[in-house]
Amino acid sequence: MFLLLPFDSLVVNLLGISLTVLFTLLLVFIIVPAIFGVSFGIRRIYMKTLLKIFRWATLRIERGAKEKNHPLYKPYVNGIIAKEPTSLEEEIKEIRRSGSSKALDTPEFELSDIFYFCRKGIETIMDDEVTKRFSAEELESWNLLSRTNYNFQYISLRLTVLWGLGVLIRYCFLLPLRIALAFTGISLLVVGTTVVGYLPNGRWKEFLSKHVHLMCYRICVRALTAIITYHDQENRPQNGGICVANHTSPIDVIILASDGYYAMVGQIHGGLMGVIQRAVVKACPHVWFERSEVKDRHLVAKRLTEHVQDKSKLPILIFPEGTCINNTSVMMFKKGSFEIGATVYPVAIKYDPQFGDAFWNSSKYGMVTYLLRMMTSWAIVCSVWYLPPMTRQPEEDAVQFANRVKSAIARQGGLVDLLWDGGLKREKVKDTFKEEQQKLYSKTIVGNHEDRSRS
Amino acid sequence: MGSAHSMPEEIQELADKTGFTLEQIEHLHRRFKQISGDQRTIRKESFDRIPDLEFNPIRSKIVRAFFDKRNLRQASDGLAEEINFEDFLTIMSYFRPMEMNMDEEQLDHFRKEKLKFLFHMYDSDNDGKITLQEYRKVVEELLSRNPHLEKESARSIADGAMMEAASICVGQMEPDQVYEGITFEDFLKMWQGIDIDTKMHVRFLNMEPIAHCH
Repeated sequence: MFLLLPFDSLVVNLLGISLTVLFTLLLVFIIVPAIFGVSFGIRRIYMKTLLKIFRWATLRIERGAKEKNHPLYKPYVNGIIAKEPTSLEEEIKEIRRSGSSKALDTPEFELSDIFYFCRKGIETIMDDEVTKRFSAEELESWNLLSRTNYNFQYISLRLTVLWGLGVLIRYCFLLPLRIALAFTGISLLVVGTTVVGYLPNGRWKEFLSKHVHLMCYRICVRALTAIITYHDQENRPQNGGICVANHTSPIDVIILASDGYYAMVGQIHGGLMGVIQRAVVKACPHVWFERSEVKDRHLVAKRLTEHVQDKSKLPILIFPEGTCINNTSVMMFKKGSFEIGATVYPVAIKYDPQFGDAFWNSSKYGMVTYLLRMMTSWAIVCSVWYLPPMTRQPEEDAVQFANRVKSAIARQGGLVDLLWDGGLKREKVKDTFKEEQQKLYSKTIVGNHEDRSRS
Repeated sequence: MGSAHSMPEEIQELADKTGFTLEQIEHLHRRFKQISGDQRTIRKESFDRIPDLEFNPIRSKIVRAFFDKRNLRQASDGLAEEINFEDFLTIMSYFRPMEMNMDEEQLDHFRKEKLKFLFHMYDSDNDGKITLQEYRKVVEELLSRNPHLEKESARSIADGAMMEAASICVGQMEPDQVYEGITFEDFLKMWQGIDIDTKMHVRFLNMEPIAHCH
């Protein structure tokens, strides 16, 4: 037993030294820059190296496939069937024309009319626009994460070794580092804002609050290894405005809040989220609602309007889609935030899925699983564009204004602009939409039914 | 790093039976999994997951057609409770485009199959003919959502069309002759001159392989 002791203390010493070194490195390279908002550029070098490795990996896969003489298939982003853009009227006329020799303008029902609807129905069953948006975007080259390996089976030994190395780095080195950082960031946020909350209201409090918030969000950004490029920062939201952005995941909040000082809007949760929410509201006026209040639209609108009209208060951050979309499109914006009458500052966020898919598929993963997935990806790379502010014109209503903002965001981010409601992820189509198609067809059939003489 | 192809022989069998290519089957399989929510079979409720389908006035008939045992080439008739991937492919194969290399007989057979699918859509009680009642039902469904159209008008439109059909099939009728309904042969007769091939198929987009150039 005595023989082990000196050996033991050596191991303990070594452990102690390495931990100290690790922490110092952590402090110097990550936390201090976060406090001051500077960057050494380490993450960008990391990103470039990764890209080189991915390119090499994809080449190997293609070479492997070529050797075995199998063609590889690109995941098809635009759908798998050719949908003809002809309208209902044209098609029905064409079908009738090819059939009977009767005059085309007699509105009658024909047996063949059913063809059009039948085919359209089968087409939507095979492939439809909306459901595609709710599953993670498929990649064109492999990024060494097994979770994105849908199509690639031709993986050689070298590639497997590389993948194994990747797993080791991600799970044993990056993950603990990131968890430590996240822990630091969140605890600093809670403690810092509570402390600031005790100060009397005034310039000092505001100044400190802003910097505590920014610092902690920056630490969280580094905890996810998020590499963000901000464009057009001169359009950043001002006090008394509303900041509107497309929603892909809860991380959007961290990304935007690390570059600007916002008032958040949301429902009070329990657990850790609740603790953070309650602490943060002590330092600056965020708008939190109780669960019961959220259903009351007038109350929500009233509180938001009050907040916005007070020019000393911060810009509100809102995600009008209401749910997470997979970042290939922008879905319908709920009109509530556009009725308030404040200046809207649109922001477009586009993630690069090559390094880690940021989309939160809430029906597939819970929050904790999602965060773990984020922390074991290579990095989160995204671009943020601040668009010039927009206000509601006198001749447009809230819905039109919302659509205008949506198109601007979709155009800037390179996303598809869809009219569909993000709520379709969970609910069914509203009845008003269903009637449109039927009305159109009936008009074609019935048409001048009133003055048509029947035999 | 799982492999996408689980059992290539099974897929080849499916390809031979239904006439789809391997890649098309793979895509349809993914679509099947999406609709079924990763289960092995689909039920009628699974089609509720497709929002675009709500637009379609004959949605219920289309969904029903998937479960119709006559379309599934099973001996009995009636409706199946749930269908698996092979059944799904069987129904989809009715909408395959005609191929260039088919001969006259194959083309004719293919055409008959497609028309039979449509016939089954009309003939819901499976007595082998489309009666006036069934015809009326289809027209009513197609025109059902128009609030300005009364049921009477829909009915008269259906009656008019049925008379038309009768005159094509049977020719001039005696005053007291009752027209039973449109049988499948009559149905075929009505379509004789018409080219339904281009209207009753869904074209798959060309799925290009990744170019191997460096």
